[in-house]
Amino acid sequence: MAAVSATSVGFQRSLNQSSRTNEAAEKYSRLRLVSRGWAKTKFPSLRTSHFHVYCAAKPETVQKVCQIVEIVMGLEEEFGISVEEESSQNITTVQEAADLIEKLVQKKPE
Amino acid sequence: MGGPKPLSGMQKQVLSLYRGFLRAARSKSPEDRRQIESIVSAEFRRHSKLVDRKNFLYIEYLLRRGHKQLDQLKSPDTLKLSSLSLRNLKRP
Repeated sequence: MAAVSATSVGFQRSLNQSSRTNEAAEKYSRLRLVSRGWAKTKFPSLRTSHFHVYCAAKPETVQKVCQIVEIVMGLEEEFGISVEEESSQNITTVQEAADLIEKLVQKKPE
Repeated sequence: MGGPKPLSGMQKQVLSLYRGFLRAARSKSPEDRRQIESIVSAEFRRHSKLVDRKNFLYIEYLLRRGHKQLDQLKSPDTLKLSSLSLRNLKRP
């Protein structure tokens, strides 16, 4: 009997954790796949290591940052400049890109 | 301004590696360059879907591996990059 009650306490704990993790995942990223691996024949496994939230990076973010890198690389080649990584992070508009290019082209020793 | 969320250190490292590959590709012939760019961008995008974003250990491993591959690619002796898919090999 003692074992059973201990079991239920443990289970409760792992459930709590799962809902907390879900919340966090939803907040920061799209939840991709949740696998709850408990053995088929036994009572749900209580080891928290069996609960695993898998989430890949947000596809929009990946697409966006990869495209920014590609665009900046293209601009570098076109204008013969070298954009530092830090400053390329701050480009949000075309105007900002144009301003940055202008600044770098002027700085470039001819 | 409310600009984009700042990237984490690791995200910056990954992007910097991507940039390094694209830069290294410039030194190859136009045809090889196109091929390198397509393989590299496909690989980065594939891993972005495949790898758990919290799996820092594995991402660090991939970063180290990527840097080694980049060093090889940078060498003028390396002419091009090729990839093969094991799934395609099964079919005769």
